[in-house]
Amino acid sequence: MKATDSAADETPAHEVLLYHWLLIMTDATPTESSIELKPLQEYASVRTWLDGLRQHWGGDPATDEPERLPMFEAFCRYANRDPDQIIKETTMIKDGEKRIRVKGRERYAHLIDEWQAQQEGSRIRKGKWGNTVRSFLIHNGVLLASGMQA
Amino acid sequence: MEFKEVIGRRRSIRFFDPDKPVEREKIQKMLEAARLASCAVNAHWARAIVGFRDDLTEDQLNRLKTPVAGLNTELAPVHIHWFNDLGIVNRIQGSRLKELVDVGALAPTHGWSHKFVDDFVYPQILKPMTQNPGYPIPSTMDVGVAMCQALLTGVDEGLGVGLVTLNGAVLKEVFKTPDDWIPLSTILVGYPAESWNAGGQRPRPPFEELYFEGEFGKPFARDPKVVEELKRDKMIQDPAKPNDPKRIEEIRKLAEKYGLPM
Repeated sequence: MKATDSAADETPAHEVLLYHWLLIMTDATPTESSIELKPLQEYASVRTWLDGLRQHWGGDPATDEPERLPMFEAFCRYANRDPDQIIKETTMIKDGEKRIRVKGRERYAHLIDEWQAQQEGSRIRKGKWGNTVRSFLIHNGVLLASGMQA
Repeated sequence: MEFKEVIGRRRSIRFFDPDKPVEREKIQKMLEAARLASCAVNAHWARAIVGFRDDLTEDQLNRLKTPVAGLNTELAPVHIHWFNDLGIVNRIQGSRLKELVDVGALAPTHGWSHKFVDDFVYPQILKPMTQNPGYPIPSTMDVGVAMCQALLTGVDEGLGVGLVTLNGAVLKEVFKTPDDWIPLSTILVGYPAESWNAGGQRPRPPFEELYFEGEFGKPFARDPKVVEELKRDKMIQDPAKPNDPKRIEEIRKLAEKYGLPM
């Protein structure tokens, strides 16, 4: 749990608690092969996400939705990928232009659906988990057409 | 509603109330309006198939959707799919032009007669036109005119409408269309879940960049008095503003209601 220890240095206590709670809820206890994560805001793709949220919705997305980052971190652990790796696997540069990897996007769309379905709670609540990750991808330019989750 | 206001109120609606059905008569009115559209050589290439979302299987709906149109399509209870029936010209062989001659819409004053159609227009112009690789382009334009009339009639009936492009190959398969029909766009129809104003009239390029007088590069002079008149007639309405807090709040509420990513 080195990643969590390091995250705790810079993450408000309530978020660390929330993170642990989310791990229990998702049964996503890291295994030996689990990825080690830096504090999420050190990843360029997470900063892009939060900037996009701030520009579109206003407010401070790092703090105005306390579940946002812990939920996303729980997904990263489920996928065993760090945020920048997720973007690398869903996009590519071809002829100097950024493109979406169709197979990568499909893989993550299914992975998000699968992970979301495992969550506890109402359909809306489950949708919130999945939509947090979809929001991360959307604000990084990876369109996901997930449809209604409510 | 007055005609100019209908034009002014039209928005591409992207949030439909998924549970509110559309009255059949309103759909018929949209189709009736399309049938009356202007059309070259009276051929009528436009074909439409009305699809009801709830009649589709989940697999069909998923395969029809394209990434940017997926949610709108899922929300809208009615989908009117438009096609270009490329075979029509060679099936009717000018007969509808002769109908126009018979009713006096086309007259000898302008050079029209049955013989002109039979000997010249169909064999020498229309038939070769259908063999030209570019044939779908002008005929599709006429389908667009018909679709526009349907779209505006939907607005006049208080419906939300929006044009999208779905997966054409799947459209042909699901709706079992003839081989020579080209799938075009789909009008999504339903009652808006968002306000009819949907944030305001959409940004448009400046008038002077689009329309010219006499020659390219010389903008058609836009008279401010006409603009004011059209504002009074509600054709030109308040434009949507960037980062409008009311619109942001509206979308936020819709996202929460339907469980959408933000």
